[in-house]
Amino acid sequence: MTEAFLAFYFLLLVATLVIKTPIIKGPWLFLLRAFFPNWKFFHAVGYVPHLYARSSVQLATGELQWTDWVLIYPRRVRRLSHLLHNPDTNIGLAQQNMVDHFWADLHDLPEGADPRALVSYQMMQRLSDQVLRARDLNFTHRQFELRMVLDGPSEPVDTHVMMTSPVETSC
Amino acid sequence: MLSVAFIQAWIEAGMEAPMLIAIRATECLFALSLVIQTLEYVRMGKVTADHAFWSWSLQRADIPNAPIQALLDLLYQPRVYQLHLWLRLAAAAALAVYGASLPLMVFLFAGNLLILIRWRGAFNGGSDFLTLVVLTGLLIAQVVGALGHVQLGWQAGFWYIAIQAVTSYFMSGAVKLLRSEWRNGSALTIFLNGAIYGPLSATHPLRHPWLAMVCSWSFIVWEILFPVSLLDPRLAAVFCAVAAFFHFLVFWFFGLNRFFWAWLCSFPAIIWCSAQLSARWTSVI
Repeated sequence: MTEAFLAFYFLLLVATLVIKTPIIKGPWLFLLRAFFPNWKFFHAVGYVPHLYARSSVQLATGELQWTDWVLIYPRRVRRLSHLLHNPDTNIGLAQQNMVDHFWADLHDLPEGADPRALVSYQMMQRLSDQVLRARDLNFTHRQFELRMVLDGPSEPVDTHVMMTSPVETSC
Repeated sequence: MLSVAFIQAWIEAGMEAPMLIAIRATECLFALSLVIQTLEYVRMGKVTADHAFWSWSLQRADIPNAPIQALLDLLYQPRVYQLHLWLRLAAAAALAVYGASLPLMVFLFAGNLLILIRWRGAFNGGSDFLTLVVLTGLLIAQVVGALGHVQLGWQAGFWYIAIQAVTSYFMSGAVKLLRSEWRNGSALTIFLNGAIYGPLSATHPLRHPWLAMVCSWSFIVWEILFPVSLLDPRLAAVFCAVAAFFHFLVFWFFGLNRFFWAWLCSFPAIIWCSAQLSARWTSVI
């Protein structure tokens, strides 16, 4: 009986991979998604959201002098001791997950809706500020951009801009 | 000499009381995993402060229910949140020393939910999911045990953990098998290039397409075959040993240290369930 149940269970799992079902969404389902794991890790290669930001200082003439766009993507140095204690790397990974959430929120936003009300948008503002301030304490304005990057085995194959924020004063 | 005698004593104890050994192994490994996670959270006070990126004053808008939002405002005050983390550390230590109990598991379960919500549902993806699975398994064991069926409770808890863990490997392998970029190995190189420890060096062996393909297929086949581990405890031990190596590689390349410990916690349950299933067959024969 147990064996038959196990066999049926794994057949059912295979069926869920083949048969597409509607995706149920909701704020509580999102917050409690750990109860419904899908266990699909690193499964598909595709466009990945990357956050870019740039800062400016206001000149005496009133003009804004912009820096180049900076990629905000976590990179850390590997150590064996991180197996036991790795807060900085995990924060970096959580930061990149947040960029993914921002992309998903933008994707789900109705046409013409203002993304600035999104929590994830406001978190991107903070993240951009944090990174830009580490490079220049005195910047006055900031802008960020979400670019979708399709990576190949050796270099990016394609990039397009999904959203560019308005020019905003730093938080 | 001493360690050989110690290991032998454990093996003998395992033969005589396998459930007891599986219980203690799960409790101790899970306690260690919780301590590692919690100490990391303790160090993250700076990024969860009011002016920081992960500020609760921003994230609270995600909570759709006003009374719950007010309750969470209280619980996520920096001092209360830090106190919760220290209590969680104490609870993990108690789990390792005294073993699981209903109040302890209810506290850890509720606390885990609070931490997940604080990080918008998950802090570290899969490791959070499996941590919750093991926690739920231990809670099931305690709830059923409190109703007077201690052994049944542990059986149910172990089976819950084992099925979810085996499912995690099986699904992870099956979805990769359906993708051409995994079958030809290119996905492995692409994901490794995007990893937090930086892209592969220009001369890294995994840049060879044939080696990337061999590695991809090895992991896909091993993951898909994982349900076979339930047939025999020796087989389960081998699958779990390979899994430990696999999770170490995932840590080494992607920095996912929590995955290593989270999945390790499920191994005693997998081996115990496999032994139970195999014993049933032996008795039938």
